[in-house]
Amino acid sequence: MRRAVESDVCIIGSGISAAMVADRLARTTSAKIVVVEAGDETIPLPERAAQRERFLRYGENPWGRDHLDGYEVEGPLQSRSMQVGGLAMHWGGVTPRFSPEDFKHRSMFGVGTDWPISYDDLDPYYQEAEELMGVAGEQGPRELDQRSKPFPMPALPLTYNLELLKAWASKAGIAMWSQPSAKNSVAYRGRAQCCRNDTCSPVCPVGAKYSPDFTWNELRRANKLRLVPRTLVRKLVLDPSGKTISHAVAVDRDHPEQPVEFHAKLFVVAAGYTWSSHLLLLSAQTGAPNGVANASGLVGKYLTGHRNVGGFIELPVRLYPGMNEQHSLVTKQFMRPKPGSTFIRHDLRVWESATGRTPRLTDDGGALMLGDAILDDWRARTKTGTARVRAYYDVVPDRSSELTLDTARKNEWGDPLPKLAFRDAPESVALRAQTEDSIRALFADMAKAGDGKVLRTSVDNFQDHPAGGCRMGLDASASVVDSWGRTHDHENLFVVGAPTSVSGSCANATLTFCALSLRAAHEIEKGLPRRT
Amino acid sequence: MLSRRSFLASLAAAVPLTVVVRRAHALAVAHLESDPATLEALAEAILPSELGRAGTLKVARELRDWGAKYRENAELVHGYGTSRLRATGPTPLTRWTKQLDDIEAQAQTAHQMRFRDLSVAQRADVVRAALQGQRLDRMPSVADANHVAVALLAHFYDSAAATDLCYGAQIGKQTCRPLSASSRKPLPMIKLRER
Repeated sequence: MRRAVESDVCIIGSGISAAMVADRLARTTSAKIVVVEAGDETIPLPERAAQRERFLRYGENPWGRDHLDGYEVEGPLQSRSMQVGGLAMHWGGVTPRFSPEDFKHRSMFGVGTDWPISYDDLDPYYQEAEELMGVAGEQGPRELDQRSKPFPMPALPLTYNLELLKAWASKAGIAMWSQPSAKNSVAYRGRAQCCRNDTCSPVCPVGAKYSPDFTWNELRRANKLRLVPRTLVRKLVLDPSGKTISHAVAVDRDHPEQPVEFHAKLFVVAAGYTWSSHLLLLSAQTGAPNGVANASGLVGKYLTGHRNVGGFIELPVRLYPGMNEQHSLVTKQFMRPKPGSTFIRHDLRVWESATGRTPRLTDDGGALMLGDAILDDWRARTKTGTARVRAYYDVVPDRSSELTLDTARKNEWGDPLPKLAFRDAPESVALRAQTEDSIRALFADMAKAGDGKVLRTSVDNFQDHPAGGCRMGLDASASVVDSWGRTHDHENLFVVGAPTSVSGSCANATLTFCALSLRAAHEIEKGLPRRT
Repeated sequence: MLSRRSFLASLAAAVPLTVVVRRAHALAVAHLESDPATLEALAEAILPSELGRAGTLKVARELRDWGAKYRENAELVHGYGTSRLRATGPTPLTRWTKQLDDIEAQAQTAHQMRFRDLSVAQRADVVRAALQGQRLDRMPSVADANHVAVALLAHFYDSAAATDLCYGAQIGKQTCRPLSASSRKPLPMIKLRER
């Protein structure tokens, strides 16, 4: 026997993008909202200090069983984590905005694809997201860091270490400032001030870092929505016209024998870069043989993100690692090249680091040290310090950068798992070596400016902050959703957040996913009864 | 009376492996609790003398507590970029207790004395002999330490107290500290005799 759940809006997924949409709709409309999440409820805040302790002592996952069994996926899945709150339960809370150039790669640099929206279009939604989460930030130089309103909270103070490193960067001609973060520099919306526990990722034990569970708890306490955990949506079913989604079919993990149907006027797929495309592809049916919203054939295509070059620079200055080690300096100086210049863009961040200055068991000659010798050796090596530097750089995604259904691997309900492959567009392939050399040269210049030396550099091939798969655009044949996240094919189906990104920029992207989701929510609410 | 090793062997023959492992862990915890002297003597020999006896006993006690609360096959924090899940390995305690037995045996063989009765220098020599041939370089995590002596060192040197001792400053890494204090240079450590 089937069970049906009725609502005005059915949101699929409960990560940070879903939380943004739900919060907005709950504030501005009286719509009946149902949120469906495949994973379990998350670990409550009061239990996180104890969970963190076990993480620090044993490396244990502080989020309990936050995954579904049998989801070993081919390709670089960002994380197995699946729970109420999504990946943002263990994010680093780093919230820079993209820069205006991010939305105009084609028209400014002749590569990639322009977004159908501009930075100015997104600016108010960036602000709304920053206020909702609580972002602590410092206004950078106006010509580099454009925003129309101040941050909702003062910046996280620079530590003694970061003040020294900022002065060093300045000697190298680089203007750096406090990285904007969704961490409370003061108590905010009932959550505590940050107290530098140093474990923002994977777990903040005091709730100073925003995570979506705070939004869900608030909305549930106020009875503004219903959240259904442990329920995996397997298919979106079209109505006979093929123009709208009739309902979603799901499996209740506690009662798999009894299918659940979610009926709603509007469906919002907010399941991140992997599970959003995956669901649309799984929903192939008569009238949508390649999956719903996929008349363009682009669902799952143009997966995007950014790679990075990182390094460690030894400096003749004494630092005290551990003061607030996840906080950093940032600059957008290298994100804003002139129009028409070669498309080499990257951000730059600097952290305190203990690399090369940790205690060791053997001396330079390989002899075992015991007793006072280890401490003496450690002290001698910490008279000078190390800075960690890292630059995310743009990768233009190829069409074949894609998520497909893996017919060889299925979940326990018989659905094919996704298969992921990230591939650079030819222009990115051509620019890669030059970009990475340019970043390494910058690190060398920085080291020289501080009378230091580069200890080592490395390239991380993993494309961080993955996105795409349902890219937005004006042309229905070249994109999956419009600039609001509404699918071109189905008027009552939206996709929000990361999947709708056209490109991945060269900065942490979660705030942009949130801003895109809020912008979508403004469009969604137009069709819903206003809250009076 | 059965020796620990004989007991384990007879246990293994009689009950399923998971039960054996669980019981072996419990036995090792009890062994370390009831006879902590070798571990404490080891701590005194290999940790910095600045800690004093009270400080080294504290580290030994903390390591015992670490071991007692160890959970096998617990899910480790997810790595980024992979769907592979990892879990904690077998309890290191059974290995540690055997290594402590070996240290005692070596003290008897070389000096005809209990390990705890040797001088600090003699004890350090016994440890050096025990670690001979092992691949050592970086300080590993406690769980990855292949010898109880290395585990003790790893446990201490990963602590906020060790960092503060090294830098002579009150950094207090990974502890809850006022945000407003982060902009100033960490205050110097207060030596006991100055209090």
